[in-house]
Amino acid sequence: MREFKNRMNSILIKLTATIGIIALISIFIFIIKESIPALKEAGVGIFTTFDWYPTSEDAAYGILTMLFDSIILTVFTSLIVLPLGYIVAFFMYEYATPFEKRMIKSSIDLLSGVPSVIIGMFLIIYISPWMFEIGAWSPENMLLAAIGLTILSLPYSASLMQEALDSIDIELKESALALGSTKFTAGFKIVSRAAISGILNASILTINRIIGETMVVLMAAGGANMLPTSLLDPIRPLTAAIASEMGEVEIGSLHYSALFVSGLFLLSISFLLTLISKRISIKKF
Amino acid sequence: MKKVFLVVLLMSFVVISFSTKLIIKGSNTIFPIAQLWIEELKKVKPDLEITLEGAGSSTGIAALFNGTTDIANASRFLKEKEIKKMNEENKYFAPIVIAYDGIAIIVNPKLKIDNISLETLKNIYTGKIRTWNQVNPNLPKKRIVIYSRNTASGTYETFEKKVLNKERMASTVKMVESTQFEIEQVSRNPYAIAYVGVGYVTNSVKVLTVENIHPTKLNILNAKYPISRPLYMFIDVTNGWPESGVIKEYITFGLSKKGQELAEKAGYIAAYGF
Repeated sequence: MREFKNRMNSILIKLTATIGIIALISIFIFIIKESIPALKEAGVGIFTTFDWYPTSEDAAYGILTMLFDSIILTVFTSLIVLPLGYIVAFFMYEYATPFEKRMIKSSIDLLSGVPSVIIGMFLIIYISPWMFEIGAWSPENMLLAAIGLTILSLPYSASLMQEALDSIDIELKESALALGSTKFTAGFKIVSRAAISGILNASILTINRIIGETMVVLMAAGGANMLPTSLLDPIRPLTAAIASEMGEVEIGSLHYSALFVSGLFLLSISFLLTLISKRISIKKF
Repeated sequence: MKKVFLVVLLMSFVVISFSTKLIIKGSNTIFPIAQLWIEELKKVKPDLEITLEGAGSSTGIAALFNGTTDIANASRFLKEKEIKKMNEENKYFAPIVIAYDGIAIIVNPKLKIDNISLETLKNIYTGKIRTWNQVNPNLPKKRIVIYSRNTASGTYETFEKKVLNKERMASTVKMVESTQFEIEQVSRNPYAIAYVGVGYVTNSVKVLTVENIHPTKLNILNAKYPISRPLYMFIDVTNGWPESGVIKEYITFGLSKKGQELAEKAGYIAAYGF
């Protein structure tokens, strides 16, 4: 009986895993298939031009502006989130009492469960009116989107980094302390260095999350297809454009296909980042 | 257990194949009207089976060509290439005007402006005018925050055709996906401008007259208001007009007094009985 149960379980697990793999492959195939018409018709122009006028008489399908917007926003947000995430994780690892640690941990878990649409609503209703006071001409802009993305990805980043720090053998820290190093040195110079692969991994996963986030940028980034010259300019990242237009686009048209090309591009970026993070986590320092 | 399942399956097949079915596709603009019509029709005839799919006007017309829909809703008339294709395939699609739609230009009530010319509107949306004092020296020297529906929307296409006159919208225009959001933002931002279907306008924003013409029902029906359009329903009448059956029933209901009232309820202007 036990033998039978074991076999059933293993079959079930294998089946589920296979379904997952098949789903991933079919997503890729589906997106590639749908983006072929645009790639054929508009060619490399999609990746080399800045104009996005998919429904005009002489249509233009350049996604470069939106791609730049995506990258600029991701870089800017990462510059805020990653150091902050590390500081929170470091505090939790080194200085927090068990009670504080539990408090922070549970509030992080709670925060990471908040749906992004709620954060988007909060930004638009409560934060965007302040934007005028700091001199923005548009209430939704890059800064607002970055704030939203920070709220969204900070818990994720902090908890991943804390796990990375926690996974390091406690003896390492203890021997550092025994040799007379301060708490800060032991944590910052010894443990963090030992955990660097985990921290890098956490950073990449966080960046991956930021670049793929849709709802917050759709609601808070402003939606203008322009290259920002200041933090307070509205922008339109790729994910926002896809989410905004997919609902109303003429199915099977070149416009539809061009949206899939941008989707393919995003998927490739995320795939690449995941690959890099896998490489990092395999390599042990 | 298996037998029961099979019987149920068979029965459902029988039921599906014998019930009258109507497929409607196209135009998100008309979607709310069609939805109201179907709801009302179902009250009278509960066995009626109607599937309604939004998507774009062109999708509906394409479906009419390959016969996968009975009715194509379209917020525009047939394009030239569609008429050509229709002639080549020896088909004939009959247009039925079901309602009218006008696009209202809205600003914040605090902004001291009541009228706008088509030329100014075009210059604002193409980025030639950037601040309000360029529109009128009495207005504050503040940057205009321009809202537009996204490029896939039918309202955008109408606006582009009737106002922009083949020029491209500036990259600083903020593309948003919902009309409600446009209204919300304009009601809060004293320097914003947006265009929305007249049916959506609320008291929290100010509607501008375009070329000194109010977007009233009568002005839109008479085409005096410059940014308005008729909404259509296309049916394939290659083999004659449907004199009975579910398609005819649907059209008749839509053009009836009740159907036109529902079109107004959805935010548009009734095409008949004014």
